[in-house]
Amino acid sequence: MGTAVGTIIENTAVVSFDLAGTPLTLQSNTTTIAVAERIDVTVTLQSPQTLVAPNDTGRALLLTVTNTGNGTETFTLLMDSVIGGDNFDPTPAVPDIYFDTDASGDFSAGDQAYAPGVNDPNLNADESISVFIVNDIPGTVLNGQTGRSELTATSATGTGAPGTVYANQGDGGVNAVIGVTGGEAADTGEYLVSDVLVNVVKAQLVSDSFGGNEPVPGATLTYTITVDVASSGTAAASVVRDTIPALTTYVPNSITLNGAAISDLTDGDAGEFDTTGTPTVVVRLGDLTQADPVQTIVFQVLID
Amino acid sequence: MKILMSVIFLGLAAAAAAQERAHLDVQTTAQKEELVVNDAGESETRLVPAEILVPGESVFYTITFTNVSDQPADNVVITNKIAENLMYVDGSAFGAGMDILFSVDGGVTFAAAGELTVTEDGEVRSAEAGDFTHVRWVMRNDLDAGARGIARFAAVLE
Repeated sequence: MGTAVGTIIENTAVVSFDLAGTPLTLQSNTTTIAVAERIDVTVTLQSPQTLVAPNDTGRALLLTVTNTGNGTETFTLLMDSVIGGDNFDPTPAVPDIYFDTDASGDFSAGDQAYAPGVNDPNLNADESISVFIVNDIPGTVLNGQTGRSELTATSATGTGAPGTVYANQGDGGVNAVIGVTGGEAADTGEYLVSDVLVNVVKAQLVSDSFGGNEPVPGATLTYTITVDVASSGTAAASVVRDTIPALTTYVPNSITLNGAAISDLTDGDAGEFDTTGTPTVVVRLGDLTQADPVQTIVFQVLID
Repeated sequence: MKILMSVIFLGLAAAAAAQERAHLDVQTTAQKEELVVNDAGESETRLVPAEILVPGESVFYTITFTNVSDQPADNVVITNKIAENLMYVDGSAFGAGMDILFSVDGGVTFAAAGELTVTEDGEVRSAEAGDFTHVRWVMRNDLDAGARGIARFAAVLE
């Protein structure tokens, strides 16, 4: 970013004046400034918080390393998964850093592993490279826990306080000067353990008007939906939405939750019959855990 | 290298000859700020010659002009093109007893900073520091024989 290394900035002032009625113009000396290399780098996380389960392997976070200096620079990369602000330490995969070689944005088989000192990325000014940091998830983690992992990119020429000069170590032998980033940058991604397993089972019972079970016009379909959590963790603010099948008509006020009636109106109880779009039965179950009993929702429709 | 040296030599010779005829000595220096820690352990900035610069750093140009003739010079006007890759630092131009004007059209016309406009995408807006192509200092009074004037401005390397 910025004026290229080696650019020459010249400055000359021009003075005009009259001397004894004669107009004259002359130039000053010319000052010359050479543009040195400024070393700067940024690392930017691209992945959102990534959902994982215990014992997952090869879970990748995508980051971008950008040379924000004005010259060509080589950067070394380092992953650290033992950092603060989280609940568990992800286990570094081996190797733990890959390039997004196929530019897919997804960690995939064609992506090349990073080997320090062997294929350190060499980036032109303003050039970026996409990098994955890869971790395994320990088996001991619990739902809702977070684990963080960090990528650091460091200028191979050097780091230091802004303004630190590395004499003759810039492109073409000019001085290299550390910029505002200090020649080193890092960003952190986060894994979230989320493997709540919710069972939802829907059953139907047909009762025709002749005392039988034939799905003929006028027959009643009774749907029973059961919901339960089959793992640790919390299924937060669970909501069941079930659209009324085509060629059927909802039986007014037929919704029950665990045997208790729920009105069709949107009136503050646990559910309603929502006709704003496709007619839909809506029942809110709240936060569910394994400790909660099976939730049973029943409603009826008529076959047209 | 030999050719370059010859060119420089010829250039210097020409400049020297011009100044001899012109009876005004004009010198430009380029400086930048350097942060140093003084004996009391305090950080302070001082100006040092700007031989190299990195993007984001500022350069401070000082133009010193001395009337080395034996009569006053009138209508003294100093004009300095702002080099490509440099952006004028707003409010930095200074010169005692001088009006300061700017150009946004490559030095064709000059006006005070607040009077300049530029047309961008068909819309006219007030000129900003980044639009300035030249700085000009206009002396209000004559420069007496033996007197010296100083004009300054700063620019940041993009």
